[in-house]
Amino acid sequence: MKKTLSYPKKKRSFTFVTFSVLSVFCLLAASWGYIFIAENASFFGLFTEENYLFAKKFLSSLAGIGDNDPAFTNKESWIHALKLTYETLQMSVMAAGFATVTALLTVIPADRNVADGTLTLSKRWYRWILFWIIRGIYVFSRAIPELVWAMVIVFILKPGILPGALALALHNFGILGKLFAEIIEDIDMKPIRNLASSGASNAQILFYGVIPAVMPKFLTYILYRWEVIMRTSIIVGFVGAGGLGQQFKLSMSFFNYTDITLILICYLILVAIADAISEGFRRAAR
Amino acid sequence: MGKFLYFLTYYKKSLLTLLLILIFVWSLFSVQWNADLLHPGGGVTTKQIFQALLAPDLSPEILILALESTWITLVYAVAGMSIAIILAFFFGILASGVLSTSRFNLFAVSGFFRGILGFTRAIHELVWAWLFVAAIGLSPFAAVFALGIPYGGILGKIFADMLNDIPEEPIKALETAGASKLQTLLYGYLPLVRANIISYVMYRFECSVRSSAIMSFVGLGGLGYQIQLSLSDLQYDEVWTFLFFLIALVVLIDAWSNLLRKRMVL
Repeated sequence: MKKTLSYPKKKRSFTFVTFSVLSVFCLLAASWGYIFIAENASFFGLFTEENYLFAKKFLSSLAGIGDNDPAFTNKESWIHALKLTYETLQMSVMAAGFATVTALLTVIPADRNVADGTLTLSKRWYRWILFWIIRGIYVFSRAIPELVWAMVIVFILKPGILPGALALALHNFGILGKLFAEIIEDIDMKPIRNLASSGASNAQILFYGVIPAVMPKFLTYILYRWEVIMRTSIIVGFVGAGGLGQQFKLSMSFFNYTDITLILICYLILVAIADAISEGFRRAAR
Repeated sequence: MGKFLYFLTYYKKSLLTLLLILIFVWSLFSVQWNADLLHPGGGVTTKQIFQALLAPDLSPEILILALESTWITLVYAVAGMSIAIILAFFFGILASGVLSTSRFNLFAVSGFFRGILGFTRAIHELVWAWLFVAAIGLSPFAAVFALGIPYGGILGKIFADMLNDIPEEPIKALETAGASKLQTLLYGYLPLVRANIISYVMYRFECSVRSSAIMSFVGLGGLGYQIQLSLSDLQYDEVWTFLFFLIALVVLIDAWSNLLRKRMVL
């Protein structure tokens, strides 16, 4: 008996991962090639005397050099900006609230384990249809950026806080819905099946089985999304949906550069506060 | 008092939920809820927008225009992401402090770079775009930098957090075997975070496509620019065509990253 040593051969086939790596390189080459060749943009052409002067003028007017009464030393502009900051804060909270409520109302049929009946131990033929419809709506509302939603909504509602909040809510509804559904799909099924097999109704399963298991994670995601909404709230203002962004756009149009600096300061403070609050809440929720 | 504290800790999550609900209710009072919120023609416009959703404009010239703008959007996203990844790689390593030797060094360097990353990601990419266009004009580089800088901040922060979170045993093993700081980085830290960081970069790439689409609102070409033009012309059917192209692009990238995540050994 002669034993031969055989080495495990390394598989060298064309896998999906190699395909992905290749396509990433192709995309990179094509993109940079397009920017340099088709759009004829030269990187070093940016550093002309003219551009330098423009940039210098822009930055010095942002810093308020040569301005007799820059907005960030003026008391009244501060009061105005802080009022707008307060409005923006309210808008972001409202947006997060709307998104959470709508996502919570739709999330149960949008779970794979509810649709195939493993969670509730009961099957209904219409569950898969509901599943795909709701997942489709999630993808749809998630794929459209909040700015586009805002542009459409200001055609319907008058400019103010509400259209901004609705636009932010519509985009984040899709994201929160997807995240919530993934959490519910990942929960430990055994306690739930126990409840179901001992005769709990669907509502009882929801309130005593699912909600206690997923609540902490939901809270974490809501707070995380709220932070992101806070950051984006300035963007929806650009198209007239209220808050700091609207004032930013107006000041840009009036060339009130010191006003812009003041708004950016308020915005940075707001983002920092939102980060701190959501971090604190997340610690507490754990 | 002790009983009260016990109450607080025991019902911590319920109290927190209640507090969040109260804050939401407070925010609702900022709007005066009456019919005055709606434009006089708001109802009609809503109907038109929904009708256009069911019948998007599929004429050849619009489709070609949409394809072209989709390509430009993708180009800006890819180019912006490549800058973001380079920024995130160097700043992330420095911000995580895995290369620092002394304790003082650790706090000073990582604090400094974490501060920079925090600043770059606190300002939204559209605001960056606006600032860049005001400073260097309508060049594609304005879009690429405006996308690359905040995304570099986000990716860098996540990268630094991942480097800090990995288990320390493999690193200790490398160190006792006599590896230098650079060698622990190359053979310890980077291979351990590779899969996670690739999956996060893919997720961010999807976001960057959306961002690059709205980037055009400051005048840089792409899908957002076309959407804006069509909306100003009140051509809702064209708006939906462009939006469907954007959705298709996002869904495609999402599917790609899902497949990749499944194939890669995490």
